[in-house]
Amino acid sequence: MLKAEVNELLTRIGPGTPAGALFREYWLPALLAEELPEDDGPPVRVKILGERLIAFRNSEGAYGLIDEFCAHRGASLWFGKVCEGGIRCAYHGWKYGVDGQCLEVPSEPENSTFAAKVKLTSYPLVKVGDILWTHLGDPARRPPLPEFEFCHVPPEQTYTSKRWQESNWLQALEGGIDSSHVSWLHAGGLRNDPLFKGTKGNEYNLADLRPFFEVVDADGGLFVGARRNAEDGKYYWRITPYVMPSFTIVPPRGDHPVHGHFWVPIDDENTWVYTFDYHPTRALTAEERQAMKDGHGVHSRNIPGTYRPVENKDVDYLIDREAQRRGDTFSGVRGIAQQDASLQESMGPIVDRTKERLVSSDTGIIKCRQKLKKAIEALRDEGVTPPGVDPAHHRVRSAAIVLPQAESFIDAARDALAVRAGEAHVSV
Amino acid sequence: MTHSISSCARAATAEEARYRIDRPIPGRSACVVALDDGAAEILERTDRPFTRSPAPGELADSDLVLVVATNDDGAELAADVARACWERGVMATGLIVGESRDAVTALRPYARNLMITDDEEDVVAVLAALRA
Repeated sequence: MLKAEVNELLTRIGPGTPAGALFREYWLPALLAEELPEDDGPPVRVKILGERLIAFRNSEGAYGLIDEFCAHRGASLWFGKVCEGGIRCAYHGWKYGVDGQCLEVPSEPENSTFAAKVKLTSYPLVKVGDILWTHLGDPARRPPLPEFEFCHVPPEQTYTSKRWQESNWLQALEGGIDSSHVSWLHAGGLRNDPLFKGTKGNEYNLADLRPFFEVVDADGGLFVGARRNAEDGKYYWRITPYVMPSFTIVPPRGDHPVHGHFWVPIDDENTWVYTFDYHPTRALTAEERQAMKDGHGVHSRNIPGTYRPVENKDVDYLIDREAQRRGDTFSGVRGIAQQDASLQESMGPIVDRTKERLVSSDTGIIKCRQKLKKAIEALRDEGVTPPGVDPAHHRVRSAAIVLPQAESFIDAARDALAVRAGEAHVSV
Repeated sequence: MTHSISSCARAATAEEARYRIDRPIPGRSACVVALDDGAAEILERTDRPFTRSPAPGELADSDLVLVVATNDDGAELAADVARACWERGVMATGLIVGESRDAVTALRPYARNLMITDDEEDVVAVLAALRA
């Protein structure tokens, strides 16, 4: 349960809101690099943190992220033509550079200085890995670029997809911290999915539907450990890192690639979910990459030419009651991503957390909310830089590990939870 | 209303969310245990009733037992309380504020949920979130 005013504090992310200010402290994924594949290609609409922007790649390969609307009459630059080092509005030909500076107003005299006085809001747009990242906050507080491992391994070792989720960002993120739903909602995936199946860890998962949880503070966020019984007086631990504000890594399974998510608010009621898979020491196989593109693992199967999943609310998520009856899937919805999204969207655009009945296994969610609330308030009241801004906080891994019962996971798995270049992840 | 192909699209709107039944939700029957002096001081600041040594009846009548520790002084009691909860089928949750290695070890076999934190305000947050 959360008080209504705290729910508002955590979920509203537009300009001028306290949570919006928190998100503006971080580099965030703005779009996939594949969306701007060539110089002078078509511009792309980007909505992030409640701001409507246009992204483009100019003739020299520089990326721009600027106000979507022309300063002249407010026409959308989505119709614009990217050429001659900038983007021209399709209406009257006003031209802007990647920094939002107006470079030319064709109706003005040739020696006019008017264009120099016109500048659209602009934000940096930088490619790191498969993602174009932006920082919407104060340039004076701009941190170094992100150092998440998935976007720093060689390109052949990583894959990132994206999907539109029609709910507030927080209820989406909370699904990534809530390990207790996996053995139920995703049970079918553990048995059948090509990116999960065939590991010893799955046997522990499916044999023990009542895991124990430990939540431990971390510099950048949290570690959430879910433990199940293993053989010979040992526990099987699945450890999920959460890095503020909205990044999680799913614990690995065997030698399968490791996956995770970055939940980025589009506005208060919509979220971009960036989903990655990577392997620290080897290239993804052609079969693995194809499985990801086909929406297996934690990726989604999107409507061609869009980032909207095929299984979306307008088609009742293509729910298959026969598959549900047979036990192929627990909810009847195909794919882990949309199994999660269907239930999170069913809560309504912003779930009313005053009506929740949380239980002890929701401790990770409780702690996550508490960390967000304190970080929002500390930034608002004292200007304190929040956890997760420092790139050192990004250099974490998830782990799946069998440990003696007496051992603390956070002590015994300390090395496993840190990025070690050139070494494989610790996985069962 | 009959099932239609887009019933989810309609049901998931903010407008429809307003029709969710608004029924009072009762609090949980919780027993809060301070395992050491530091934990007792934290709980005193919350104005929340707590005990230093719960009677078996108190545990049995609860549907949630929250055990708070700040050091290892109460490790033995932690094991006793958590084991008693386990035997009675009562959910035990441990909240460790600071370093309490022995208390964590004692609680781990029986407490289904443990939070290890540096922030004593988490005690209040957990109690409120669980309606305890």
